[in-house]
Amino acid sequence: MKSKKRIASFLLALVLLVLSVPMDALAVPYDSYNYDYWNDVVKTPAPYVPDGSISAVTLGLDKPLANPQDICVAPNGSLYIADTGNNRIIIVSGTTHQVERIITSFDNNGVEDHFSAPTGVCVSKKEQLYIADRENKRIVVLDDADNLVRVVQDPKSDVLGEGFVFKPLKISVDYADRIYCIAQNMFQGIMVFETDGNFSGFFGTIDVTLSLWEKFWKKVATKEERSNQTLYIATEFTGIDIDEDGFVYATNIDKSGEQGVRRLNPKGEDVIKKGRKANVGGDLWIDSVGSYSGPSQITDVVYRGHGIYSLLDRKRGRIFTYDHEGNLLYIFGGLGTQKGTFNTPTAIEQWENGLLILDANRAEIYKFAPTEYGSLINEAVALRHDGDESQAVPLWARVLELDENNELANAGIGKAYLSAGDNATAMKYLKIGMNRDYYSIAFKRYRSELLRQYLGPVLTGTVVLICGIWLFGKLRQRRNFRRKGGEQA
Amino acid sequence: MKNAFSKEKWAYLRYTISHPMDGFYWIRHQDRGSVPIAILIVICFSLCFSLNRISANFIVNDVYPPSVDSLEELSGILLLYALVCVANWSITCLMNGEGRMKDIAIAVGYGCTPLIPAFLIATALSHVITMEEAAFYSIIIGAGVAYAVILVLIGIMQVHNYTLGKTLQTLVLTFIAILIIIFLCLLLANLIGQVFNFFRYLYIEIIFRA
Repeated sequence: MKSKKRIASFLLALVLLVLSVPMDALAVPYDSYNYDYWNDVVKTPAPYVPDGSISAVTLGLDKPLANPQDICVAPNGSLYIADTGNNRIIIVSGTTHQVERIITSFDNNGVEDHFSAPTGVCVSKKEQLYIADRENKRIVVLDDADNLVRVVQDPKSDVLGEGFVFKPLKISVDYADRIYCIAQNMFQGIMVFETDGNFSGFFGTIDVTLSLWEKFWKKVATKEERSNQTLYIATEFTGIDIDEDGFVYATNIDKSGEQGVRRLNPKGEDVIKKGRKANVGGDLWIDSVGSYSGPSQITDVVYRGHGIYSLLDRKRGRIFTYDHEGNLLYIFGGLGTQKGTFNTPTAIEQWENGLLILDANRAEIYKFAPTEYGSLINEAVALRHDGDESQAVPLWARVLELDENNELANAGIGKAYLSAGDNATAMKYLKIGMNRDYYSIAFKRYRSELLRQYLGPVLTGTVVLICGIWLFGKLRQRRNFRRKGGEQA
Repeated sequence: MKNAFSKEKWAYLRYTISHPMDGFYWIRHQDRGSVPIAILIVICFSLCFSLNRISANFIVNDVYPPSVDSLEELSGILLLYALVCVANWSITCLMNGEGRMKDIAIAVGYGCTPLIPAFLIATALSHVITMEEAAFYSIIIGAGVAYAVILVLIGIMQVHNYTLGKTLQTLVLTFIAILIIIFLCLLLANLIGQVFNFFRYLYIEIIFRA
């Protein structure tokens, strides 16, 4: 009897224990964190949480997706999936989330033509579909009724070598219908095609940087030795996106982990702001062990409006989100087998309010929905980008309730107090937000405030004191003199 | 001991700071200096250094607060002080230096004096300056360090009765000597550890067999 009771109470305790695990921890299978001023890892609430997935099963397709390589969200909200292994493009409606249509072939001047390993898709502002048809060595442009507009292939130029084979991997199109294409084994940069499909040149070449040590060995090595060394070639671009102003965001795998993304202006110059840490390359702490160590390998980028962009790291399956100043806003995601974690993340897109991550090996697209924390940061940063920083204050205040050490939120609130004239409070928040420049401004105003208040009385007091001491001294001198005089007399 | 902290010694410290050429010379030849005061100055300098790191204002202070440990810094600075003195003594012994160990300790210790007010004033000043005025903060610390370097240089020079050229030469050699001493200490520690381990394993072996 007694032992039965004991077992029952034990089971009850077990059930209570299981129930007491917070639901939130069960829902999110990855760590959400950020780096503070001192580059220490700080855990944050999850900015995005898994929100189901899109796969052949949910879409009701006849055969599963095979190694899909790219996704793209059209201006009208439809999702385009490059089903690379099955040589087709799947279009998912933005409203019903069901298959709208599937493109397997198109009419090429009277001949039925097919794709061969389409690795990249992009939809232009004019609703034209651009497909990087890798094994057919061409870019196919279709209009919204799947009629062929033109085919871009076999680019001719002096800068391209003799035996150059054009194999497009990823493409993006700007507002003027210029095509920006990342081609296989093309280390000279992004290939740009004019509106009419003519190759116009390279764009945003990544310079090779040699370390001092490598330079030394290059000097020392003989010609023979040098020919056996690995070539020092620039890294290839991995992913591409274009913002509304026509600036191209292009990712590359940086072995130093400092710059995983470039923001290229129309001249092809990198104009990205790297922030205080001079780093837009993902993780800062990269020296763990085994295959998990090393810098983040940024494989794709999505521009999300208001200067915010997200990078996808295939090494550790994390998504890094930065603002236009290069501040890291939040980090989430991870590799694994649980729902909401990845095996081989290859592409990222923004769909509706959330994010989509394409996993090539699992042939599945994972959806992520923003939490209150994530959307507050998005909104507040967007307001700051648009110059309405004062409106962001209530948002930052709510962020602080969720994550009281958030430096951006503290700095944001501090700036608001500063412009409202409450310098002492501004100083407090700006100090927690580690914003020296604005702290200095707040302090300067606070100091002059204090001076204005107290300088007059203090100076008057000092003058009175000095006069008093002087007078006192004089009086005593005279008295002493008198006394002395009296003694002498 | 009472003599070491006497009024004359303190007065002579003041004189040495303002007249280093003359001051350090008579420290060597008339025993006007005091080793305890020199050590006290080094300790004070270490405390002021830690104070500056922990409590200088946010605007000029980029030190990670948990990394400040005043006791660790004190022991580090004292160790460095001892190392410099020993190394300098070993070099100057071989290079016709006239200074005794005592004189070197005093020269280096007294030389640190300007650092104390420099760090104190800079720390206090940092609380009333803005970022544009941060240069004043750096200037104060820079001036203190420069003065201290000059004092130590003159101190070593006068104590050993060297020319300036030879002083610089011995200082370079002193630096090398410091490295050699550190190397030897590490070697010794390693060897002692191995000997200790030998006996430890011997003990374990005996315990297991018995």
